[in-house]
Amino acid sequence: MSEAAATNTPAKTKEENKNIKLVNDATCTFCGCVCDDMDLTVDTDENKITKAKNACILGKAWFFEHTIDHERPVAMIDGKEVSVEDAIEEAAQTLVNAKFPITYGLSDTTCEAQKQAVAITDLIRGNIDTTTSVCHGPSGMAFQGVGEMTMTLGEVKNRADLVIYWGGNPAESHPRHFGRYSVMPKGMFVPNGKKDRYIVLVDVRKTKSAGVANEFIQPKPGKDFEILWALRALVKGKKINNSIEKETGVSIETLENLVDRMKNCQFGVLFFGMGLTMTRGRHFNSGALLSLATDLNEYTHFVAKPVRGHGNVTGADNVVSWQTGYPFGVNFSYGFPRFNPGEFTTTDLLSRGEVDAAMIIASDPGSNFPKAAIEHMHKIPVISLDTKPTATSKLAHVAFATSTYGINTSGTVYRMDDVPITLRPAFESPFPSDEEILTAIKNRVHELVKAKRYRN
Amino acid sequence: MSTAHLKLHTKPEVPLEADVLNTAKLAGLSQSGIEHLSVMHGNEKASLGDFFKVTGKGNSEIRLEGDLSNIKMIGAGMSDGKIVVEGDVGMHLGIGMSGGEIVVEGDAGDWVGPEMSGGRIIIKKNAGHMVGAAYRGHTTGITGGEIFVHGDAKNEIGSGMRRGFIAIGGNAGDFTGVNMLAGTIVVLGELGIRTGAGMRRGTIASLEDAPMLPSFEYACTYRPLFLRFYLRKLQENGFKRKIQDKHLNGIYKRYSGDGIELNRGEVLLFSK
Repeated sequence: MSEAAATNTPAKTKEENKNIKLVNDATCTFCGCVCDDMDLTVDTDENKITKAKNACILGKAWFFEHTIDHERPVAMIDGKEVSVEDAIEEAAQTLVNAKFPITYGLSDTTCEAQKQAVAITDLIRGNIDTTTSVCHGPSGMAFQGVGEMTMTLGEVKNRADLVIYWGGNPAESHPRHFGRYSVMPKGMFVPNGKKDRYIVLVDVRKTKSAGVANEFIQPKPGKDFEILWALRALVKGKKINNSIEKETGVSIETLENLVDRMKNCQFGVLFFGMGLTMTRGRHFNSGALLSLATDLNEYTHFVAKPVRGHGNVTGADNVVSWQTGYPFGVNFSYGFPRFNPGEFTTTDLLSRGEVDAAMIIASDPGSNFPKAAIEHMHKIPVISLDTKPTATSKLAHVAFATSTYGINTSGTVYRMDDVPITLRPAFESPFPSDEEILTAIKNRVHELVKAKRYRN
Repeated sequence: MSTAHLKLHTKPEVPLEADVLNTAKLAGLSQSGIEHLSVMHGNEKASLGDFFKVTGKGNSEIRLEGDLSNIKMIGAGMSDGKIVVEGDVGMHLGIGMSGGEIVVEGDAGDWVGPEMSGGRIIIKKNAGHMVGAAYRGHTTGITGGEIFVHGDAKNEIGSGMRRGFIAIGGNAGDFTGVNMLAGTIVVLGELGIRTGAGMRRGTIASLEDAPMLPSFEYACTYRPLFLRFYLRKLQENGFKRKIQDKHLNGIYKRYSGDGIELNRGEVLLFSK
């Protein structure tokens, strides 16, 4: 239990039988917004959150539906309950004896746990990859290829007068993004909030997000790169081919007007989602958008930022980058990190059947990976750390049940703009945290690796 | 001239990184010397003899036999001699090679001849993504040499290429010649989308029509003499099926681009 939660004094309400605790400024770790202004009311008898002030509809579901399943064993081997020590021993042995072990997931746990996972992978000379590789991984590759014009969401709130969303639907995926950072809030240089901003949405479907946009641009599906390329050409004052409207569904006038607006704003921002990164062209789509932001800096201040999904996927990128030098898809076979997406990314490795053991932390590839990858997971020993039973924990050789970050466990998470935020948990869980389990595995792995080297 | 003959007897369970499989490393070694060369089997050291039965001595030619589809880095850094593979090969074939020849009778994995500077690689069937490409984070791909793929190849052929020649007998994936600095890519089949995105100089030619990016401008229709020599050379090298007389003597549409970059590259598409 964290100190932060303990300092919040329990307060009795009118219902005398109930012990109610208030946790102010708690953090919601559901999505990449990581809103840290939650005021939670916790029923400590039932271990349930009853009120979550400031939470959006997704945040409310995240807090209210969190219950402790007392029936679930902390550790299981092949579906049978075992002691935590036995499970840690089995997990460590499995990892140390593997020739090509992989570590995957990490986006829904704390940075402290992620750090331990990197250390384990380094010790076992394995391969580490995060869920970034199946969401904004292409953006990570694009950062490396073309660079990134970056900012914090606080800057957007205070300065941005042109906000462009590309290939995403934040109204439904990140409900507070508009209200807290980018559209509604009144800022230092945008004192009238939305009235001082111009909002553009570029998407293949007219989603709920279109409601707040001053302008909605609807290209044909899979034509983002062509439009971004045309915008880049126009920004550079080059002519573009007239066939653009027929090909992409967006007229030259629309593009020219947008370029005019982009060049003449005070502070422009491009937020992009998986509509861009996970469609045909992937890292080139992200790269084209980042290059567009870079090009525009010849005229004004322009930045770009991916709108990240999972609560701490940005933390996963930061921790893996800080520890290995690369954000995802990192291999330690030789004892030093090598980066090669496509070769060392988990879906590819599993689909090609190149892996002989896997440790999956806080994610569920067993339900959402391609068929070939899931089939291979059934053939190899899998170690899983999960807060709830999942398809992955069901197929796992060693399965640990862990506590939920942000609700039961303290730690650090990164918001989508790379700002670290400390968690204030609501109530204690009978399950250990990911960090505790991973630290124990790391310590045992360390002993085994030392013994193995001595033998050799 | 003797040949070292290596036949796969045990397929590796996890990928094998065998950068020792090149003529310089094997030169002068006896049969047992070759068997004792060390390779990386996943994260463990192993020896070639654990997977291959070796006959003959190391010399300027190596013959490999079997399904080598999860054996990576064959012919890494090769500068001389010849490797013939009777079967499929894994990733990073001929990585950084500067001379000599590699012939693969089957399919090749991703990254054929990445960042090579000389020599020749021939793939008789299909190749994966990133043929003759730059590695992630690098700006320059191949700086010389020739890669001939008789079948299809996937995305990002010749990305960041500076010099050299890549020929694809079948169809190409998307982003052929992306960020190309110079050099020549000839695709006898169809090009995917977004060909030549970000190219500065260089030539990409195809015998089929292709969609062009908005930043490429139509320049003219003409008969590029040099292309006839390239196609003739390909005919001599076994690419006979698709190259007809009309292609040798025909006219081609020339697009110049990429307008976002230097605009000194060209894409030539067969017209009639």
